Amino acid sequence: MRPWLAALVLLTSAVAYAQSHLPARDMRIVWDRGAPKVSFSAKDLADDRVRRELSGGLRKRLVVEVSTHFKGSNNRLAHRSFSCDVTRDLWEDGYLVRIGTKSMRFKTLEQVLDRCLAVEGLFVGEPKQYAEQGGRQIYFFVRAEFNPISKKQCRELIRPGSGTDPVGPITMSIVRRRICQAERDVEFRSAFLEVPQ
Amino acid sequence: MSRFERKILFAIGLSVFLALGGSVFLAQGALREVYRVGVNERFGAELVHGVEARRGQLMALRSSTEQAADAVQWAVEAELARKRGPRQLVPLLEQLLERYPLVRGIRVTALDDAVIASVSRPSDPSAQPMRATTRERVASTGGQMLRISVEVAVPEVYFERLQEAGQVADVYSRLQRRSASVSDVYVWVFGCLVSLVIIVAFLIGAILSRRVTKRVAALAEASRKVGAGDLSVVLPTSATDEITELTQAFNDMVRDLRDSRTRIEYLQRISAWQEFARRLAHEIKNPLTPIQLAAQEMDETYEGGDEAYRSKLRNARAIIEEEVATLRRLVGEFSSFAKLPEADLSPADLGEVVHAIEISVPAILEDVGGGTPVPVEVQVSTATESIRVRMDPMMLKRGVDNLVRNAIQAAHEAKPDGGGRVFVRAYRRRSSGFIEVRDNGDGISEENWDRVFDPYYTTRAEGTGLGLAIVKKVVLEHGGEVRLDRAPEGGARFCIELPLLESR
Repeated sequence: MRPWLAALVLLTSAVAYAQSHLPARDMRIVWDRGAPKVSFSAKDLADDRVRRELSGGLRKRLVVEVSTHFKGSNNRLAHRSFSCDVTRDLWEDGYLVRIGTKSMRFKTLEQVLDRCLAVEGLFVGEPKQYAEQGGRQIYFFVRAEFNPISKKQCRELIRPGSGTDPVGPITMSIVRRRICQAERDVEFRSAFLEVPQ
Repeated sequence: MSRFERKILFAIGLSVFLALGGSVFLAQGALREVYRVGVNERFGAELVHGVEARRGQLMALRSSTEQAADAVQWAVEAELARKRGPRQLVPLLEQLLERYPLVRGIRVTALDDAVIASVSRPSDPSAQPMRATTRERVASTGGQMLRISVEVAVPEVYFERLQEAGQVADVYSRLQRRSASVSDVYVWVFGCLVSLVIIVAFLIGAILSRRVTKRVAALAEASRKVGAGDLSVVLPTSATDEITELTQAFNDMVRDLRDSRTRIEYLQRISAWQEFARRLAHEIKNPLTPIQLAAQEMDETYEGGDEAYRSKLRNARAIIEEEVATLRRLVGEFSSFAKLPEADLSPADLGEVVHAIEISVPAILEDVGGGTPVPVEVQVSTATESIRVRMDPMMLKRGVDNLVRNAIQAAHEAKPDGGGRVFVRAYRRRSSGFIEVRDNGDGISEENWDRVFDPYYTTRAEGTGLGLAIVKKVVLEHGGEVRLDRAPEGGARFCIELPLLESR
């Protein structure tokens, strides 16, 4: 029993250490009908290189993930994410942005970044997910990524050979994971807060 | 696990590790080189150039449409400058539509959106998807302001191709940027596979080698036991390899050692008994003559007239003389046993011994019958081919003679009125020569088989128990074996086995 206990203590310490070392950022959190609405900006993801690439005419993706975690634990309470496919329109000036099935057109890159990276009033989870957690300490973890290649697209672009050996797909899977990850990302968390009763 | 097993496993592990670990070391350079050839800067640059070319193509098309719109504006302004009415613009617009293939339609409106002239290409449902846009110009002539809307379109596929090329170039540039990391993945996967192969090869090697090392360890353990004096060790010999041959040789060696030890022990025991017999014969023999003479003298020198006492003296003398005679016979046999010479071996044919026995059979029959031949049928046979062994014919004949004598006695005791039979046979089988003596007497009970060759062990009242001991001593000195079992006729069967001369 003792080794298990030691492993548990070690794991908890590691999680707490990792959480405390995540950069914290001001985030506005409003509880609306039992669910949190978060507002924050991850526009610092768009550095010069990202801005240049977004203006290049090729379709690029911005992904924002927000998740709720308990303080001192890695367990995720709720999760919300969205992605923007941004294409600079070479035919006409402006940017085409697709969020889910919805397409929008913006005149400037700044407008695009405001829409995709400056999040305003985003519900993270549903009221029932927080209903029984009143009084518990939580925090919101944000991860914004520039141009991760989706799994489907990655599978299409990096395919194993036609052979039947089982090693090829394993190798490809590892390679895909390395190649298709985001070109740039930022991670931060909110301050710890208490779930209202 | 024995030291030997550990060494074998270490050798297997080392050879497998060196072979496969070395291959990983050598292959990682090759893998990195292969990756470097497949994903190199030149290809990456060409892909980027391709994307740039597609982007340039689109930009050129855009520029063309701008120029077409400008051209339309200028043409309209020129036409209006010639004082033509706006309604006469249509033929001109049709000509412009014909001249610029990217233009799909032209519309001239007043600033209040009232259409002055408009032309467009007929729509073709089967045509490929197009991306259209409108380039607007304002023409002014004679104080009149007109808006000219030129609808231009290019195939959608141009944009799609640009995106596809961009995706490929993007992935390729990632592969390039992370070439060290990705080629490390290949090396790592290769290393993992090789490690797996090493483990499997090691396990298979360990399992296979264990089958050998176990047998060698068993051989070593058996050797230790033999060294400690345990000669009952017998190792299994089921496989067909060198280890089995070694094990077989070990078993043969242990068996020979066991036989030799049994033989030596028996001969030592016989030798001790011979010494005992010699002393006994000496101690008994010396007083016999004075005893006999004293009895004779007492009988012959009695001068009294007591007839009853004389009769007692005579009876006593007769008893003393009879017992002294018996003792003399015993002493003679003891003495004979004590003086039994060692066998002087020389090449000879076993058949000769059997022939000699055949000749002496009548005398033995008569001897056993106490002067009258007993009614026992003795059949003597020998193989037609020679059975050459190293032997002392006299000694061996003496031994076989004892066996035949015992057999005749046994057969006669069982069938005193006739029907007793004794078989004497010499033959060869594999690397041994055999003399078999068997009878149809009552046989010897199995519990006595081990003891019948012990000196002075006998089941007969008048026996000395030396006959079979002499047989065994003689046979052992010949390097052979004598065995007892039950004859098919129900009696005893003694079998003398001697190594053939050519097998030595």
